Amino acid sequence: MRTGRRLIQDYWGILLILVAWQAWVIVNQFNPIVMPTPISVFDALITDPVLFLENTGITFAVALVGMTGGMIIGTSLAVATWLSPLLSGLVSPLAVLFSSVPVVALIPIIARLLGYNVSTEIAIVVIITFFPSFVFASSGLRALPPGSDDLFRVLGASRRATLFRLALPAAMPNLAIALRLAAAHAILAAMIAEFLMGTSGLGYLFAKTNDEFQTEQAFGTSIVATAISVAAFLLASFVERRVRSHFS
Amino acid sequence: MATDTTWVGRTLLGAVGLVIFFGLWQLIGHYKLAGLSWPPLTSVIDMLTDASRRPLFGRAVSATLSSTGMGYLSGACLGLVLAWSTHLLPPMRRGGDRLAAVLNSVPSIALGPIFLLLLSRDAAPAAVASVHVFFIVYVSVTSGLASASTAHQDLFSVFGAGRFARFRRLEMPSALPALASGLRLSWPAALIGAIIGEWFGAPRGLGILIINAMQNFQIVLLWCAVFLAVIASLTFYGLLTGLERGIYGRFR
Repeated sequence: MRTGRRLIQDYWGILLILVAWQAWVIVNQFNPIVMPTPISVFDALITDPVLFLENTGITFAVALVGMTGGMIIGTSLAVATWLSPLLSGLVSPLAVLFSSVPVVALIPIIARLLGYNVSTEIAIVVIITFFPSFVFASSGLRALPPGSDDLFRVLGASRRATLFRLALPAAMPNLAIALRLAAAHAILAAMIAEFLMGTSGLGYLFAKTNDEFQTEQAFGTSIVATAISVAAFLLASFVERRVRSHFS
Repeated sequence: MATDTTWVGRTLLGAVGLVIFFGLWQLIGHYKLAGLSWPPLTSVIDMLTDASRRPLFGRAVSATLSSTGMGYLSGACLGLVLAWSTHLLPPMRRGGDRLAAVLNSVPSIALGPIFLLLLSRDAAPAAVASVHVFFIVYVSVTSGLASASTAHQDLFSVFGAGRFARFRRLEMPSALPALASGLRLSWPAALIGAIIGEWFGAPRGLGILIINAMQNFQIVLLWCAVFLAVIASLTFYGLLTGLERGIYGRFR
């Protein structure tokens, strides 16, 4: 009884959508090709789990590799601008410009430039996760605890020592925020890339099943994608909390 | 005086950075260093300013902007109303947060076909945009409503303010800066939503132009369409940044 109440309190919104969806399909008597019920979508998911697992694995791998690359490049560039005021002055307006650019609109251009294959998908995820990690790492490297900068200077710490012992640890909470933002984005970006280029993974599976009117599978694909991007978000939020309690 | 010179220096450096960026773009395009898919900046500008193309670009931009605008307004209203309601009805809060997080995780390419069915070809882009905006506004308003200072909360308690008076006179105003930030951040997200929504058969718009140019190897046209999308994003982002600064100055 109590778990039931907990469940409703936590998931009323999602339950409401599922019930409304089921009722809406039944009332309108839609053909399953047009609009399947949530129950039949669930059915499709458990009848062919291998298909979904395989493609989920591909999408997840693309997102993970791309995100790791994007965060490493973003953080390195942030460190480079921290070390060199000249570079920082040159790059910062571009960073502001690009952080407000609809990056998804760039995917078709990147696809044309690099060709239709898996490495292009990874490159797209790298570019999309690069921006948040660069922006958050640069602001984190400069958000030092008050007075700590002076202390390091008085003690005669080298630029390198200041970077590794003060600025980078101070930037950790910010990098964790960037990780949380990038995690959900990475999977969705990988899916859009796969959808447009039709190579492999969940995005491709969605495009294919949608075109072939296998609507139940198409919906199943979106539900799997939603689930893994929620999972990635929760995992990254957990990492963020751990990092935050460790570093601040 | 010192701050003046650093400001001038930073602006100059920034301008140099932009010039280098556009210069590299032009060079790479001119010498075909990145292959045929990278046109020089000048040919993109030539096509953008070509009078015979103007009706095409005009139609696409106005269609996308109107869907983005509609999605932006409806998403912002939905996010605001849900954030207010879950704030006034605390038992609903956790469920509201979960709903928003899950809706935000639904891949937008999956939303397209659903809205196509639920609404119409013309309304799907706005609907996808509104889902993006809804999440950002909801998250920023809920955290803004919780940000009223404890001293103010105590003051309201001492004067015996009711739940609703507290909400209207304290919590709503203190959530305004967060709302302004949310509104600024959601514009590019709304534009992305509208463009993705258009991929599913909208009659016109920048998204259609982008996808057609990509599939038909019209490289310069593709770059033009993306360039226009970027400008549409930056212009409104700039305006909303101004609004945000104003609200921060007044309410914080």
